[in-house]
Amino acid sequence: MKITEGLKMIDAGWIRKPAGFRVKYEKLVDGRRVTEHSPPEGSALLDSDVTAWRYAWKLFAACRSEKTDIQENELVNIHVVDDAGEQVKYYATNKYDLFNPK
Amino acid sequence: METQTTKMQRLSELMATSGPELILSLLVLIIGLLLIKWILRGLRNALGKVIQNKTRISVICNSVGVLLFALVIIAAAAEAGLKLDRIVSALTIISLAAVGAIVLFRPLIPTMPFKVGQTVKAGDLLGKIEAITLLNTRFRTFDGKTFFVPNRKILDDIVINYQVTETRRIKLDVSIRSDQDLMLAKQTLETVMIADPRVKAKPGPVVYVLDTSNGRVKLGGRCWVDNAKYWVARCDLIEKARFAIYHAGIVPARPQMDIHHFNDLYRGPVAGNDPENDEGQL
Repeated sequence: MKITEGLKMIDAGWIRKPAGFRVKYEKLVDGRRVTEHSPPEGSALLDSDVTAWRYAWKLFAACRSEKTDIQENELVNIHVVDDAGEQVKYYATNKYDLFNPK
Repeated sequence: METQTTKMQRLSELMATSGPELILSLLVLIIGLLLIKWILRGLRNALGKVIQNKTRISVICNSVGVLLFALVIIAAAAEAGLKLDRIVSALTIISLAAVGAIVLFRPLIPTMPFKVGQTVKAGDLLGKIEAITLLNTRFRTFDGKTFFVPNRKILDDIVINYQVTETRRIKLDVSIRSDQDLMLAKQTLETVMIADPRVKAKPGPVVYVLDTSNGRVKLGGRCWVDNAKYWVARCDLIEKARFAIYHAGIVPARPQMDIHHFNDLYRGPVAGNDPENDEGQL
């Protein structure tokens, strides 16, 4: 195997490089839980997971409520996903964290 | 008053006799200039795809611009009803001379090593270029101060233009204690860089062992990102590397200094032997 072939194998199989990140959350619409993304699907992704997690936390901080059930205009289960829609570990805790889990 | 009245009469006569021609020639001039601007923009874009050398593109565009400008002037003069023979010959000579000067002397003309909007360090100043005039350059530093720097001073100084190249290398140095798992630390640092979407795959990220002195191992991560994203990417990578090293269970190096105290080698002044302190004898 040539070096270039080996490097291609490493690029493809070792660590997946995501194209970007979105914040995924749930909210109530007409009394039903719906899942949404920010930025919405089809628009440009955030290129930084640090920015995405910070954005997710700010969304949580802006709309959290003390009640145990989901409220109108409240975003729950806020987390970061990559371009493939897979949940991303929070780099600060190395866990699949959720902000405002309900 | 009489002179002004005469002038107004002459103007009204002129407008009556050749007013439409003058307005038409003015229109030709304005439309022609707009067309030149549009054509040059298209030409610059088209040449940018074929020719890599930006100076050459600029020379070609400027030369074409001068010739087109001469054509527009001739067309406007023809619409105004002026005799064209002398105008055409004069403009031909002037435009050819201008094109020749552009082609021959362009490399010799000192130009500023940056453009408006670029991030530059000139001398002690680091900031964005807001404007370039004949006499000075307006800098806006990142803390919001505006500096007017004489162009002469900039041309005499070393200038770093951070936006000439498209990519820039990030240095991600991490020091760990020398008793820690070196290979795990290298792998962790490399993973952080590879997993970031902004980090270029080619040339790929690399981790070097830079130093092993003072009870620590200094690792140097190197990776390339787009110039425009350099600062944020660098800060993010430093933050992520710090957490990744922590989660991998690797203990970072702390600044340390060994102090060796040898009692045998140093003795203070013995009482009675210190000439400056005779009280010891008493």
